[in-house]
Amino acid sequence: MTQTSALIFGYNEYTSEIKKNISSHYKNIHVFKLDENITPIDKEDESYEVSIFDLSDNWNHLSDIVDIEECVAFCILEDMAENIFLTLSLRDTFKDLIIVALAADKESADKLTLAGASRVIPTTQTTANVIVDMLEKPIVTEVLHDILYEKSNLKIAQIKVGENDYFEGKYPSDIEWSRQHGIIVLSIVHEDMSTEFVYSSKAQHHVIKKGDIFVVVGYELEIKEFEKMIGSGCE
Amino acid sequence: MLKRLIVNTAYSINTSKKYAKNKQFFYNLLENSDYKYKRIFDFFMIALIFASVIILVREVKSHVNDELLFFNNYVISIIFLIEYLLRLWVSSSVTKIIIEQSEYDAMLGKEFELLKPLKEILRVKFKYIISVKAIIDLLAIVPFFHQLRLLRIFVLFRVFKLFRYAKSIQTFTSVIAAKKFEFLTLAIFASIVIFVSSVLIYVMEANNPTSPIDTLFEAVYWSIVTISTVGYGDITPVTEAGRVVAMFVIVAGIAVFSFTTSLIVTAFTEKLDEIKDIKLIDDVAKMKEFYLICGYENVSKEVAKKLSINNKVIILEKNLAKVEQGKKDGFFVLNYDPGSIESYKKLRINIKTQVKAILCLSYSDVENVYTALTVRSFNKDVYILSILKNKMNKNKLISAGVNELFYEKELVGIIAKEFAGQPVAFEAIHALRSNYNGIDMQEVVITQRVLNNFAMAGELQNAKYKIVLLGIYKKSKKRFFFNPLDGTILEAGDYLLIIGNIQFIKEFRNFLHKKGTK
Repeated sequence: MTQTSALIFGYNEYTSEIKKNISSHYKNIHVFKLDENITPIDKEDESYEVSIFDLSDNWNHLSDIVDIEECVAFCILEDMAENIFLTLSLRDTFKDLIIVALAADKESADKLTLAGASRVIPTTQTTANVIVDMLEKPIVTEVLHDILYEKSNLKIAQIKVGENDYFEGKYPSDIEWSRQHGIIVLSIVHEDMSTEFVYSSKAQHHVIKKGDIFVVVGYELEIKEFEKMIGSGCE
Repeated sequence: MLKRLIVNTAYSINTSKKYAKNKQFFYNLLENSDYKYKRIFDFFMIALIFASVIILVREVKSHVNDELLFFNNYVISIIFLIEYLLRLWVSSSVTKIIIEQSEYDAMLGKEFELLKPLKEILRVKFKYIISVKAIIDLLAIVPFFHQLRLLRIFVLFRVFKLFRYAKSIQTFTSVIAAKKFEFLTLAIFASIVIFVSSVLIYVMEANNPTSPIDTLFEAVYWSIVTISTVGYGDITPVTEAGRVVAMFVIVAGIAVFSFTTSLIVTAFTEKLDEIKDIKLIDDVAKMKEFYLICGYENVSKEVAKKLSINNKVIILEKNLAKVEQGKKDGFFVLNYDPGSIESYKKLRINIKTQVKAILCLSYSDVENVYTALTVRSFNKDVYILSILKNKMNKNKLISAGVNELFYEKELVGIIAKEFAGQPVAFEAIHALRSNYNGIDMQEVVITQRVLNNFAMAGELQNAKYKIVLLGIYKKSKKRFFFNPLDGTILEAGDYLLIIGNIQFIKEFRNFLHKKGTK
């Protein structure tokens, strides 16, 4: 993770939740709100500074505050038209900025992608998926929940294959991950950032090489040992 | 002494569990359309009615053997008689009337008056006896007296009994009954026209030797045939005056005919929504298990879409526009307020046996609290999940009895965290959650059948099916065992958490359950 600053555009209930969750990952978090008429949310969150922005703003002045290349922008305006406009204007000004945008529905999600968002979180769909999983797959949901919320010792991590030639030239199917290393590999991310499930035929025929990233689930100790063994870890 | 004895007997009958159970059973069998055995009983009675009519028709020109006649005249009649008496019994409670009167008298400090409850009993029972349905039932028993040849025609009353057992006929009569006043007006109009035209045609034609109308009966017959627009043509007026009357009757006939048609059509159009609602309620009552979604919003639409793949889903929404939208989207949406006990009563939903879970998905926390409280007021156990729109209302929803709360903003926060910390892992979890590329994470319950094939985790051969065994959830210990050792003993009720291609998971499930796999 190279990004050191986060820009949150929008001052609502999402702001406090996002800020609370990402504060450990970024050195600087800047919150922007659209206008001054919005009533403040939780008092406890008023501790952080909130800047005002306007949709007609020229965003070039942002470069004076932060290094755009090391930034992630969260566009979380509740009015979808405004959010799409904001995403579009940010993308227009900063070609390489990572933009995460909230979408109320599928239609807005498609428009946000077109507007240049790097990652769209469709809130309705995601909410529905989780609710259905809670009802239909309660155990799966509980386990995933524990891993994601770090309520158990189990963790999900991404580990990059480094200079070490431990796996060099081997196929994923050659390795007894769970028996030998005590971890479970879920997927492999290639250099071109395409993700493959570990058992997919493409992944099975892929020779492991430097730069590949493994997404693994395991206990912290085993993950650390595995990281040490294969080279540079991302997390 | 006699009064005391009657009151004591009434109390002992009224408090007898066996008596109440029996009466309830017969009430359900005869009157409760939700009772599962009523349908069988109705079919049996319909079969008896048809058997009776077939025997009657056959008897007109052929010889029917004595056994069949005995069956028709005695067996069927006795069954109908028993049914009639049972209906008379369950129609009202005699003991209740006696007890109510005795308690009323005791409260006023008066001596118990036997005459009053007796009068009341006679009144309510007589009221039942003179009801149309009861009269038809009684007349259907009459063919028992088969010696009276004329009474055989009463077999036809058995056909009328079909009204009791066929719901569509009941619906039709209720539709017609709703337009009672209009039909009465029409009948009076038609009667006046028939009366006037019969008298006129009789006066004009009866003295004419070439006219076929000689009697008043023939005149009435001609009027009815003409006004109904049937017009056989067997009797026709020959005088000019008679033909003028005919023209008048023909025009009146068109009016009567079109008025009748439009009346029936209007009655059905007006009642259409009600009929549809009744049908929907019946369908709901027949459903075995379903998810109940309260409130139709965007998230309800998505949840319903996903749940409907493997389950039945019913949505309750009080806003008519949203109901229409839901129906357009292809869901089973009912225009009932989920926050009203009356809705559940009307829909005859048995929360305990029919509802898997209640999902309060309205975008208003107030409505979700209200719905949860309503449900909890008559059912303590059903699982309720609710979305939370404003964090401030969390405790209110918990106090209302919601089992699980879902706060969308918190989820977005967690997603943002995963994205910030481990974007690749985030992608992997996201892919798993949304079945991206056909990869899914599922849970497989270990049944006795699976145990017969596999005793330990190492025997499962999941790798052969390209499936990752993430772990085993031990039901007995309520704990998740990640990456289980080969020697881990499987127990009934445990869950395997597996990740893989949906198709391979399906095959793996079949493999686990196939007999003699091991």
